[in-house]
Amino acid sequence: MEALVKVFPANDFSLLAVILCLPLIGAFINGVFGKRLGREGVTLMALAAVGGSFLAAVVSFLVLRQAQAGSEQAARLTYVAWDWLSVSGRHDLGSIPIKVAFSLDALNATMCLVVTGVGFLIHLYSTKYMEKDPGYHRFFAYLNLFIFSMLVLILGDSLPILFVGWEGVGLCSYLLIGFWFTDEKNAQAGKKAFIVNRIGDFGLLVAMALFVYHVGALDWIGIEGGRSRLLEPVKLWPIGNVVPLSSALPESAAAWLNTPRYVTAASLVGLALFLGCAGKSAQIPLYVWLPDAMAGPTPVSALIHAATMVTAGVYLVCRLSSVFVLAPAVMFTIALVGALTALLAASIAFAQNDIKKVLAYSTVSQLGYMFLGVGVGAFSAGFFHVVTHAFFKACLFLGAGSVIYAMHKRIHDTDTSQDMRKMGGMKKYMPVTFATFVGAWVAIIGFPGTSGFFSKDEILLKALTSQIQSPLPGGKITQMTRAGEQTVLELWQWPSWGNQVLFAMGVVGAVMTAFYMSRLVFGIFWGDFKGWTIKRKWKAPAHHDHDDHDHPHHHHDPDEPLEGPAPVESPWQMWLPLAVLAALSLGGGFLNAHLLHLHPMDDWLGPVFATAAQNVTAAEGGLSLVLAFGIGAFALGLGAAYWVYRLQGGEPARAFVERMPGLHRWAQDKFYVDEAYDEAVVESAAALADTAAAADKYVVDGIVAKLTSGVVQLAGAGLRFVQTGKVHTYAAVMVVGTAAVGWFLIAPHAQARTVHQSAGQYGVVAAPGFGYQYRWDTDGDGQWDSEEFSSQMQQDVTLGFGENKTLRLQVKNAFGRTAERSITVSRPKLDPTRGPATVIQIEQQPDGTVRGVLPGQQPTGGVQ
Amino acid sequence: MSALGYVLEHYVVLSALLFTIGAIGFLVRRNVLIQLMSIELMLNAINLLLVAYNRQHGGPMTGQLFAFFIIAVAAAEAAVGLAIILSYYRLKASVHSDEADALKH
Amino acid sequence: MNAGNALFIVGALLCLVGALSTVIARSPIRAAMGLLITIIGIASLFLKLSAQFLAAIQIIVYAGAVVVLFVFVIMLIGADTSAGPPKSGGSVGSRIVAGGGMAVLSGLGLLLLARFDGQPVRFGPAAVGHGDVEAVGGLLFREAIIPFELATALLIVAVIGAIAVARSKARPRPAPPESHESKRLFHGPLHPRDAQRPLSKEPAE
Repeated sequence: MEALVKVFPANDFSLLAVILCLPLIGAFINGVFGKRLGREGVTLMALAAVGGSFLAAVVSFLVLRQAQAGSEQAARLTYVAWDWLSVSGRHDLGSIPIKVAFSLDALNATMCLVVTGVGFLIHLYSTKYMEKDPGYHRFFAYLNLFIFSMLVLILGDSLPILFVGWEGVGLCSYLLIGFWFTDEKNAQAGKKAFIVNRIGDFGLLVAMALFVYHVGALDWIGIEGGRSRLLEPVKLWPIGNVVPLSSALPESAAAWLNTPRYVTAASLVGLALFLGCAGKSAQIPLYVWLPDAMAGPTPVSALIHAATMVTAGVYLVCRLSSVFVLAPAVMFTIALVGALTALLAASIAFAQNDIKKVLAYSTVSQLGYMFLGVGVGAFSAGFFHVVTHAFFKACLFLGAGSVIYAMHKRIHDTDTSQDMRKMGGMKKYMPVTFATFVGAWVAIIGFPGTSGFFSKDEILLKALTSQIQSPLPGGKITQMTRAGEQTVLELWQWPSWGNQVLFAMGVVGAVMTAFYMSRLVFGIFWGDFKGWTIKRKWKAPAHHDHDDHDHPHHHHDPDEPLEGPAPVESPWQMWLPLAVLAALSLGGGFLNAHLLHLHPMDDWLGPVFATAAQNVTAAEGGLSLVLAFGIGAFALGLGAAYWVYRLQGGEPARAFVERMPGLHRWAQDKFYVDEAYDEAVVESAAALADTAAAADKYVVDGIVAKLTSGVVQLAGAGLRFVQTGKVHTYAAVMVVGTAAVGWFLIAPHAQARTVHQSAGQYGVVAAPGFGYQYRWDTDGDGQWDSEEFSSQMQQDVTLGFGENKTLRLQVKNAFGRTAERSITVSRPKLDPTRGPATVIQIEQQPDGTVRGVLPGQQPTGGVQ
Repeated sequence: MSALGYVLEHYVVLSALLFTIGAIGFLVRRNVLIQLMSIELMLNAINLLLVAYNRQHGGPMTGQLFAFFIIAVAAAEAAVGLAIILSYYRLKASVHSDEADALKH
Repeated sequence: MNAGNALFIVGALLCLVGALSTVIARSPIRAAMGLLITIIGIASLFLKLSAQFLAAIQIIVYAGAVVVLFVFVIMLIGADTSAGPPKSGGSVGSRIVAGGGMAVLSGLGLLLLARFDGQPVRFGPAAVGHGDVEAVGGLLFREAIIPFELATALLIVAVIGAIAVARSKARPRPAPPESHESKRLFHGPLHPRDAQRPLSKEPAE
């Protein structure tokens, strides 16, 4: 350990570069040479890269732990790779260097372990799941690239570096969702994810600009140090001083309209950041991409769309917690949006039959919980849910993948093989998958003692008790104006009813989670197998090989009864990760079991959130109430599901659907949110694009392009007959041209220009020419001053104000030809409205300095 | 008459005459070889002018330097030009420049 | 008439006679001889203008290389090539226009020169060492070293270009050697599955 600390000092912790670079190298080698490496080589490369990265992360974690041991301060290990660029913000804040720098503290060290650890397990799983796919090396290249991008995101020491990773994971997500891009549906899902995320990224970019302007820093330390500057009021309305046309309104309305409205910069920053988080972490209103993202291979869903990437938004809120707490209104918005998302997604999950869709909505719902947690200021509780969710949701997805893998033996259609109505009774055939799935299931529904129980109840407790204080005592921002001190902004106060509402929503969400997850598990593992008729000693027809994705349109006739062997357990590469993750789901809760007064995680993360915690107040007590509600919710949800789906065999659910077909359809079709977005956003964008396309086609192509090309074509058609191709023709034309130029040079041109020399003194200068001679008529009497031509080129003229004078000039060239011109010189009248012009005279002093002297003034001061 | 070789204008006139002869030869003759020789004549006329002016100005002999480089370029031009004539002759079996009209419309 | 004047008159006459015979001669070999005479005349005028180094270069490069090259080419092509009747119209019109135009232009220029009144410019005594090998060589290798090196590069390029242009018919190239394994690494479909499939929606066959 000592040696490690010596090799990797805290301010140049190059082990971070190792963590980052290994997956990047893996991605490069698999991407470029993957086809030559062969399956084994690709497997080895991908696993070694992520495994090595995981080991380095573990070592870093240990070093960090030693650095933080016995210290109240948050320890940080930093590594600066190179200086990237520098931006200049407000002039009083100076220029802001942006370095490619990475840092490790308690928060992202934990996240880093989760990403590389869970990432490694999922890589291992994928080696079997994707075994028969022709794009094997491409898959692992993308997956390694994803790990790299995710690590850049979480290790980046400033917002721009985080943004690079943020975009990188978005790209990998797009590539992996559309991994089987030959199927139109998958490609569409990829595009949807990418585009919806762009909307969120816009928010992140705006937030960065606001940080540059208001704080003058983009790195974490600088932002935290300068966060108090975010409390300055920003005028939102009116733009300018008055609303245009407001005078036409009644006076009271105009006055109301013209009242300046302010918000704090912190609120703007917080909202912009949250837009980014909502995009990446699938919150209302940008959650629509995540369920569609299930079009990707199942390990991708587990890694990117459940365990890691989608929690980036929560990570960002935690990372900038010190900024968010300055805006209680934004925090309450986050909590409320989180709770609403949790409820909405859970209600959609009730009606889904595709097991991956159920899990996807469950993910959206759990992400809502995390935002509920961080929104009330319980950052470490929210982040703890990120960790436990990574365990149990990855386990659930991989378990689902294992079931789908088994179903694929006979059902080659993606949608049908994921339909839980085709499954059932799997616990008999796939005991390991069953056991691990149940482990994760009890965690997500909050069975006492499991990780989900501890993390969810912690969030519920904080939702009931914790709130954000106003960042300023008194809650007002005042400004000195001409009318005296004025309150420009009264800060928003946390509502008294807020906690109860949030808590109630959380509990309802917990009941719903328990119900739909139990429905899923009962549907898959209990009951009878409905996929196909199981025949012993069944033999595959000769033409079948198991590469379903090569033939996505190969359907079985649904009416034809399907026969096949009993589903079998997946190989060890698939169930080993399941087992590890299930164990973590069950036992992970003891990292932060406040009930048992066991909270190493809180202690570990505490220093990171110390600044933010100053603005958060948490009431004591409420524990027993929360415990009762938490266990009650779990019991109610599970009990109801057991009654409906096990005891009654699903009869009440069918009856409910029959009684309320509308509501069920509505939920099944996801409340038509996608369709609404299509109509409102996509259609209007398409209409705009159509207009632009028409303008391009008819105006630009039709008139501009056709017209110019037509003119050129016509000219070419005429002129091409000049081209004889004979060198003598061209030479003759050249000689004629040269003669013309020579003639121009020799012909006399009487031209002159007037120069103003000083007050009233003008000079008329004739243009020079080859062999020219001049004569002048300066007095305007029509007689030349002298009959002889001379070489005098200039005549001087003196004029008073308002006078003018006409001269004549004659030029003779070497061949005796002449040309004539008369030139009028005039001096403008003195403008009586303006005083005498003040002329600053520049004088050079004997000592070399230059002084400007006003008339009638002694020279003072000087410039060198 | 006593200083015929020491007056700048004489060289200028001689150079102009040489240049004119070369130019007219280039423009009127159809034999590519002779056209190329006419170009050499024109270059020589320019060289003469440069050296004469240099003689008048004295000083750093920039004119002579220039003439030197013109000779170098003329040698290069002669080499490439003759090579082109050779391959043109192979192609057309003729050295008449007005038979090279492949570039017409 | 002293010796200096005699040299100038002889040189000028050599130039003019040589130039005229170059332009007028029917046979290219006579034209080449005319060019040679002009070159010798110019070299003698260079001597008169105290440019000894350039006079030597003139003889060496022009007489020794350029004219010899011309003669070589004339021998290769055959001295009587101009004897044959022209195959095409001969572009008489444009030749008359061009030649006449050039003559008129030059005449006007000379007239312009003659119109100048003023004293003719007489050369002063030449500086010691003006135009000898040491002076010009020193200048070439100090101040003008970069253009000098560029000129050498130009000559090499010209020689290579001349060879490339004048080379007789190109021989058929040998077939390229069997493409190496590693060359195929970076092309071909990314995906074996894509090999048979078109990227667009158009049918494969």
